[in-house]
Amino acid sequence: MKRNVRFVLLLMKLKLSRMMMFRVSFFGAFIADGTMFIIQLLAFEAIYSQVDAIGGWNRGQMIIFVGTFAVVNALNMLIYFFGVNDIPEKIKRGDLDGYITKPVSPLLRVTFENVNPGSVPLLIFSAGIVCYGVSAAGINISFMTGLLYVLLVLLMTLLWYDMELILRSIPFLVLSANGIVQLEEQLIEMNFKIPGILYKGGFKVVFYFILPYGIMSTTPTQMLSGLLTASGFLHAVVITAFFTAFAIGFWRYGLRHYKSTGS
Amino acid sequence: MSLIKTRNLTKTFRRFEKAPGLAGSVKSLFKRVYTEKTAVDGFDLTAEEGEFIGLIGPNGAGKTTLIKMLTGIIAPTSGEVNVLGYYPNKLENAFKKQYAVVMGQKSQLIFDLTCADTFLLYKEMYEIPNDVYKRNLELFVDLFDARGYLNTQARTLSLGERMKMELVTALLHNPRVLFLDEPTIGLDAPAQRHIRAFLKEMNLRHGTTILLTSHNMEDVRSLCPRSVLVGSGKKVYDGPTDKLFDAYQTSKKVTAQFEDATDFRLPENCPVLEQNAHKTVFTVPKALCGAVLHQIMRDYPQCDLFVEEEDIGVIVERIYAGREANP
Repeated sequence: MKRNVRFVLLLMKLKLSRMMMFRVSFFGAFIADGTMFIIQLLAFEAIYSQVDAIGGWNRGQMIIFVGTFAVVNALNMLIYFFGVNDIPEKIKRGDLDGYITKPVSPLLRVTFENVNPGSVPLLIFSAGIVCYGVSAAGINISFMTGLLYVLLVLLMTLLWYDMELILRSIPFLVLSANGIVQLEEQLIEMNFKIPGILYKGGFKVVFYFILPYGIMSTTPTQMLSGLLTASGFLHAVVITAFFTAFAIGFWRYGLRHYKSTGS
Repeated sequence: MSLIKTRNLTKTFRRFEKAPGLAGSVKSLFKRVYTEKTAVDGFDLTAEEGEFIGLIGPNGAGKTTLIKMLTGIIAPTSGEVNVLGYYPNKLENAFKKQYAVVMGQKSQLIFDLTCADTFLLYKEMYEIPNDVYKRNLELFVDLFDARGYLNTQARTLSLGERMKMELVTALLHNPRVLFLDEPTIGLDAPAQRHIRAFLKEMNLRHGTTILLTSHNMEDVRSLCPRSVLVGSGKKVYDGPTDKLFDAYQTSKKVTAQFEDATDFRLPENCPVLEQNAHKTVFTVPKALCGAVLHQIMRDYPQCDLFVEEEDIGVIVERIYAGREANP
């Protein structure tokens, strides 16, 4: 464990060094992520500024919802997205050879080798939105509620990672999974705008259990708003544990079926 | 006990095939056609500690697939494989710490960073003690006279410099077995010589067991006392390298080039491989080589001559033909 932490820290240092080799790209990353954030904010304003309540949630809670999704997304971009997103190409090009033959977990290395400090401002802005939403909703937050909210945000970041890892490990078994990754992007886009509480029937089953994007921002928002039940909390924990175990198992299964490329 | 032991090792790949053009693509959407290709077929191999073995064969013979099974990158379809006491595809870290693999066409350097940064990453991955790391780095840098590249961004290195750094990276942790896949591919003659000298030193001084695949016959002849020849996934020959070349490499390939169009007359007993007004490629029986070259230089003083070893594919064919003639 200690060795893995040391290794991850080294990967992060190397990534920072790599970014600093290219000054334009280093500062450009902050500008690009900041611009993306502003676009998201404008989209939110365009949709929600005209309504006072959605599915029983007031405007403040909706702001918390959007802010929380942005926080989870920023953590995803900051920590693992650019590493995990490259997995299909690494499988196709046979680049995993160099990971498999080294005495550290290939998954650990792939996950943390492309951290993106450019997403730090995005994370700070997103946290700011959550704070603004809390203020707009007039919610008083206890230390324990705040702590559980942070825990849920981290759990949902892990769940997002699991989903990304599963979808990007499919090319171990098939020629290409570009379509599935595009579908994932559309689902995330949709769930960024629609709180999970609006889903009913089959949609709820899909977005709460099968492709659980529906709970990623909804559950932490419910926690902060004092609306989360014990079963809702348990559901978030169990579903994350299940998908984490499945993602790791699927990755290992894929690795055993890795074909590399011709010489 | 042998460091590497395989028995009846086989790897079969399933390959997707489709008819050419859009119609073939549409058809393949509904009906997939797969064919099976046996890349390595019932391969038996043993290697003892300290051996330097050349694994040679034409393109597509199965050499790289064999190396990938020995290093655990891919799982065998059937058969037994044991390297350093481990089943490679179990991918145990204790196993991976004892070998290194260098693939000439795949880099392990971090291109955007300096070589020294890559070495630090490898020090951490292999948990190399400080004193061993410093000692090895000093030794390898001196052997390669490569101190000047340490703080250079890897992407700016020449191919030869990069390959030297690849080898340093691979050997920092004192591997017991080194798998080398085409380490001199694309390198000029001085760089090839430098790398050969380094590998010889590592094998002799450190006792590193080396399995080398190369199309460069000079690599194999000068480095490997033992050669394993692979053809169509099967072992065709396993024995002394000298014997292989003496018995089966009966000719040299000669290229004669002319700046001006020339009516070049082929020497006797030299089958032509390619000929036009500016260039003629032909084979010369080894025994006649000196005399033929002397004659060409006398008759065509303006000619540029290149002498190469015979293509490995020809040797494989010759061995097969010899077996058919004397089963």
